[in-house]
Amino acid sequence: MSNSVISVISRFLEEYASSTPNKLKVIDAYLLYIMMTGALQFLYCLLVGTFPFNSFLSGFISCVGSFILAVCLRIQINPQNKGEFLSISPERAFADFLFAHTVLHLVVINFIG
Amino acid sequence: MAHLCLFSLLVLSLVLETQALTPTHHLTTTDVARLQAVLSQPFTDLKSAYYSVVGLSKLGIFVADADETCRFINSNLDPSSVESLFYAAEASQALSGCEIPVSNDTRDLLLATVSEDSTASQIHQSVSALSALGLPLASQEVVSALKARISKEDNVLAIILALQTASRLSQQAELGEILEEIEDLAARLDDLGGVYLQFEEGLEATALFVSAAYSLSDHVDMEPPLKEDQVIQLVNSIFSKKSWDSLSEAFSVASAAASLSNNRFHVPVIVSAQGPAAVSHSHPFLQLQVTDVLCQPLSSASVLVESASAVASKSAILNQAPFTLRDGVFELNFMASQPASGYYQFSVAITGDSRFVANHVELKVKVSTRVAINNMDLSVVDKDQSIGPKTTRVEYPTKAKASFMADSHQNFAMTFQLVDETTGVELTPHQTFVRLHNQKTGQEVVFVAEPDSKNLYKFELDTAERKTEFDSISGTYALYLMVGDATLENPILWNVADVVLKFLDEEAPGTIQAKTLYVPKPEIQHLFREPEKKPPTVVSNAFTALVLSPFLLLLILWFKLGANISNFTLSPSTILFHIGHAAMLGLMYVYWTHLNMFQTLKYLAIIGSLTFLAGNRMLAQKAVKS
Repeated sequence: MSNSVISVISRFLEEYASSTPNKLKVIDAYLLYIMMTGALQFLYCLLVGTFPFNSFLSGFISCVGSFILAVCLRIQINPQNKGEFLSISPERAFADFLFAHTVLHLVVINFIG
Repeated sequence: MAHLCLFSLLVLSLVLETQALTPTHHLTTTDVARLQAVLSQPFTDLKSAYYSVVGLSKLGIFVADADETCRFINSNLDPSSVESLFYAAEASQALSGCEIPVSNDTRDLLLATVSEDSTASQIHQSVSALSALGLPLASQEVVSALKARISKEDNVLAIILALQTASRLSQQAELGEILEEIEDLAARLDDLGGVYLQFEEGLEATALFVSAAYSLSDHVDMEPPLKEDQVIQLVNSIFSKKSWDSLSEAFSVASAAASLSNNRFHVPVIVSAQGPAAVSHSHPFLQLQVTDVLCQPLSSASVLVESASAVASKSAILNQAPFTLRDGVFELNFMASQPASGYYQFSVAITGDSRFVANHVELKVKVSTRVAINNMDLSVVDKDQSIGPKTTRVEYPTKAKASFMADSHQNFAMTFQLVDETTGVELTPHQTFVRLHNQKTGQEVVFVAEPDSKNLYKFELDTAERKTEFDSISGTYALYLMVGDATLENPILWNVADVVLKFLDEEAPGTIQAKTLYVPKPEIQHLFREPEKKPPTVVSNAFTALVLSPFLLLLILWFKLGANISNFTLSPSTILFHIGHAAMLGLMYVYWTHLNMFQTLKYLAIIGSLTFLAGNRMLAQKAVKS
């Protein structure tokens, strides 16, 4: 049982390393960073307490929002999805990504207190 | 046509049914005496002599030493001043047998003052002086001068003086336009709460207006355009002040009072009860004083009770009963109609003269009576009703000879009846209390005795149930009955009997403490809001470092993946874009530390648009290249 899980995972990692373009790997590294930052914030909240609650929420929402926006960027940039995003060039996707981040950070900074 | 008649009749009946105003303020005899005293002060100059002499003459009082006053006037007269001549002339006219020597120059001076170029006050003074001295004057010239002055000086006092002047002129003159000024002035009065009507210039102006309006109306024999309610409101305003600041104010009130008590059209009637408006068997007459504003009794009046009804039951007692006049006071024997005790609403009408204003008055009259206590029965009843109750009858005002014993197995009961002493009708006064007073400890407990449906009062004391009120302290309690009401002439406090109450001894407190209600209470310390507990700084710092550490991981991963900036073109749009982007991130930091949302949005708009344009260009170039 565990054997098959391990073999699935190792196969997945191999495929990932070989067939994913570099650009997407860069974004994936960024996604991993965001996720870890969010997880560590959540861990602090669990261990130490929710004071100040608004700061915790704004930090956590910032991580979640950034993660979502990065995922959207990854989907839109992926050449395999080109058929579904005919009108959106990668540059346009990146510009959207930057604009959405500006709005997100405005709200986050407002709420962080 | 018939519909119109019916409609107008309906409207008329509605108007008549509305409650007419009655004066809330009026001068009493002491106020009138005070007014006379103010005006009788020794005078220092001609002006105060004028106010005193003429003011007192309006009140119907003549100065004691007329010759002395006449000499004073003549010695203080300045024949070259119109004002001085006015005071002297008016004052001398009020004194009998006082003559002022008049020369041709004086007459010419007075006649010359009557022109459009003099002020209304000067015209008034010269015309009054001319008429008081018996000199001829040209009424038409005066009228045209007054009309010109009214249009130039549009203030209230000038118009009042014009009215006063017009009342001295010949009746053949055309006074119609000046008469219309009364209505215009009445429109300028301020209505305060529907009760007062006065000029914003004050009491003196209002009082002078009243006396001028009525003297002119009497002179031309035309009713002034003042409604009854307005007249009453003016009465309220003028007579609400009972002590006067200056001689001129007192003079104006005296002239207003004189004109309101004696003119051809409106005479306000003041009705007041002599003493409290209460009757009883010992005082069966309801006495009313009906006077004019100067507290002079109205000789031609006849007073009638239109209707009198009980306030509680609204049943009518009297209808069209006349008052009889005796020694200047109107009285009615109300007890002859044998009213039950309570309050009655009287509607009184004063007739006899068509000039009477506010001649319908509503009065509340109290009928008092004496109360008697019948059938006071005291008994001690066993709770299980095994032993029959022993009733002791006590007669007021004696006290029961034996004291009553009641412990936790027994109830103490008391029944009695309260009746009207003369008629025997049962009464239910407002206050019927039973008070138990422990003489030794000073405790007192009060209960209420309630009547049942047959108006029989009952009081029951259940010893076991009521032990908390008594604090379970056994002993001898003196029992008092207290009866009181606004309509009772003889409130009762009667020590009926002594009651020995026995409570279970264990429950009695050791020492009897007086209830400490009025000692200082313990001080309350204010608890300020405590700040939230923060984690120690070490923990916070550690976690800050921990949260920032994935960034290092990110850089390492990117380096390993071979992410680089080799494609960085140094075109202006690229540089501008990156600078703009960095500026936006910097703005976020500044927003956190210093700014508010509005300022941030402003800066963001500027930087953002620049960055957008630069970025657009940069990405377009990139797209073209790839």
